[in-house]
Amino acid sequence: MATQHEAETVRRPALSEYLRWSVDHKIIGVQYGVAAFLFFMVGGAMAMGIRLELWTPTLDLMASGSAYNSLFTMHGTVMIFLFIIPMWAAFGNFVVPLQLGAKDMAFPWLNAFAFWLIPPAAIVILLGYFVTPAEAGWTSYPPLSTLFSGDGQTLWALGAHLLGISSIMGSINFIVTILNMRPPQMIIWTMPLLCWAVLATSIIAVMATPFLAGALTLLLLDRVAGTTFFDASGGGDVLLWQNIFWFYSHPAVYIMVLPGMGVLSEVLSIHCRKPVFGYRMVGLSSMGIAFVGFTVWAHHMFTSLQPELRIPFMITTMIIAVPTGIKMFSWLGTIWGGKMRFTSALLFALGFMSMFVIGGITGVMLAALPFDIHVHDTYFVVSHFHFVLFGGSVFAIYAALYHWFPKVTGRMMNERLGRIHFVFTYFGFLFTFFPMHIVGMLGMPRRVAVYDPNFTDWNQFISFWAFVLGFSTFIVVYNVIHSYFRGPVAGANPWRALTLEWATTSPPPVTNFDDDPIPFEDPYGYGTEASAAYLDAVDAAFSGGRPTPDGNQAD
Amino acid sequence: MTSYVQRQEKAKFGEDRDAEMRLKNNRLGMTIFQASWIMVFLALIVVNWQLRFSYAQWPPEGVAPFDPLLPSAATLALILSALLARRGWQALRLGKLGVFLMSWRLNMALGVVFMAIILVEFTVVSEAALATQYGVTMRLMTGFHLAHALAIMAVMLRVYRQAGRGSYSGDPRDSWPVEGAVKLWYFVTVAWLMFYVVLYWLR
Repeated sequence: MATQHEAETVRRPALSEYLRWSVDHKIIGVQYGVAAFLFFMVGGAMAMGIRLELWTPTLDLMASGSAYNSLFTMHGTVMIFLFIIPMWAAFGNFVVPLQLGAKDMAFPWLNAFAFWLIPPAAIVILLGYFVTPAEAGWTSYPPLSTLFSGDGQTLWALGAHLLGISSIMGSINFIVTILNMRPPQMIIWTMPLLCWAVLATSIIAVMATPFLAGALTLLLLDRVAGTTFFDASGGGDVLLWQNIFWFYSHPAVYIMVLPGMGVLSEVLSIHCRKPVFGYRMVGLSSMGIAFVGFTVWAHHMFTSLQPELRIPFMITTMIIAVPTGIKMFSWLGTIWGGKMRFTSALLFALGFMSMFVIGGITGVMLAALPFDIHVHDTYFVVSHFHFVLFGGSVFAIYAALYHWFPKVTGRMMNERLGRIHFVFTYFGFLFTFFPMHIVGMLGMPRRVAVYDPNFTDWNQFISFWAFVLGFSTFIVVYNVIHSYFRGPVAGANPWRALTLEWATTSPPPVTNFDDDPIPFEDPYGYGTEASAAYLDAVDAAFSGGRPTPDGNQAD
Repeated sequence: MTSYVQRQEKAKFGEDRDAEMRLKNNRLGMTIFQASWIMVFLALIVVNWQLRFSYAQWPPEGVAPFDPLLPSAATLALILSALLARRGWQALRLGKLGVFLMSWRLNMALGVVFMAIILVEFTVVSEAALATQYGVTMRLMTGFHLAHALAIMAVMLRVYRQAGRGSYSGDPRDSWPVEGAVKLWYFVTVAWLMFYVVLYWLR
């Protein structure tokens, strides 16, 4: 017979709650997550269209090169602005207040408003695809975006403006929540590393996103008001866009990756039952990445930059590998000798490590000026940033999904399906994007629908595995839906984790905690008698001492 | 924070949120917002600087430089306006509502003077200047700033009317809208000072 607390674990908000305005951070988190995943499916479908077109070296699926340009423009835009960035807002919203023991975010109303800016922004951007689409890539370089794109480009800029405002409001909320709303027992040096990562991410977002707002304002004025900020014939400068855009957009790469790094520190420690190796350095390295991230933007302009500025930007770009390397070594130190439980969450976390290190190394290669010029605008670059943003961000998103799904829904995900999903995703991703390094170095340019027939075999190989990768998404969709309705009851703390989000029911009540929660002295202090006693107390409080779904764990 | 927001939060928490924490959050949130949004103004300064290097000289040949006299008067009015806003806020904290209202009337009057002068500057840019980025960036920057000044003036007007109805007390927890409006007006002042130097003095 279920105890009262077990009954609580299955109490979930009605699905209709997620479809309307709510100031509850947990509802908003799910709203962000579901919306972002839907956009992931849209962006993924576009990627499948791209790969289908590239099956042969001639135009076949697309009516023209312009149609192909529009497709990859929307693919990049949707994936970056509507999937990855909002998806981290999803996990940040749901998890961060819980990890801090707070009842909600600092500004609940602002939080809801930030989310509800996304649907109209998405509608505006996607609407543009059905008028005269933007075809200047997600980077929207003038003059392509001013003289050669249709009204869809104007809608693109308007939508991006709205998303930027949403991002700034959300980030202010995160910073205030993290700095002001921790319980008295939680000093900054005992704060969970996801909170550190979200804090660093939010600092980047509030300082960099306004530059995007500035750039988009100029782009809109050039397009609709007849100004010539980016037109050299009118006294403007095309490099002006590149400078301002990349001052936002390179730090935006860290907006997309840093939260994933925070997730990794959480997942690896919990699923390997080991304290995080070098906790303070990991927290500080997040701040280091945030800081150095502002000094590297011009490496995107190596081929157009004044020669005397290239070397300084090459150096700063290489320097940013240092804080990133600190994290990588911390993760290795954390799993070393740990009692690894190969859950789906851990598999995706390990997948992140193996893929992101490739993306990091190719990043250092691209930081080297001579190499960068050699592979500029080739598939090598496409491969590099997909290893960072898919191999990094998306693998971390999946790790986070499998890790926190029980807390969000009160149900466990199906581990067998999770492992199948991992295998398809891992190999689908690896064989899609690794060969792009080779075709890039052989000289295949990016952003072309028609290519040298000598690359046909490579492209068919890549496209085949891209379809496998696309198929893998349906496995996780099925798993989420099936587990939501049929998954085993999770209990409060199925992973026996020490951070505070697990010290409440799954899903948590409206105000998160019945009483003010007391955090354990070390959020990653696994393997001690004190931590085992704390976890037993949590189990006793919320599950009546019931075994967790994967059996009692040694600590 | 509007009553609508408080109603939303009450619906969730069952009671009003801790006023001390809300004030602390509002203050930090405002600081971060100011640090963030000033970056847009910095971005426009970067635009101005990069574009001026497209020309052999600045202002470009054949374009008369902007006369700094009227903008200097406007700048002075804005600084005085900000000081008066602060004085009013301090008076309110001491419970002197009459001093607050008087200070804010003057503050808003000077703010209107500032906006009127800048609007004139915005509209009278010569054709020769507008044919170059010298005039266009000036309009971009002054127009962008004017939009902010206008929006925050509307906030100050609302605060003034609410204060006249006795909505605020000397307790900072009860008078956040006043403090917030003052800090936003500081923001407008600092942003203008940066633009003023770049537009009228750095050549």
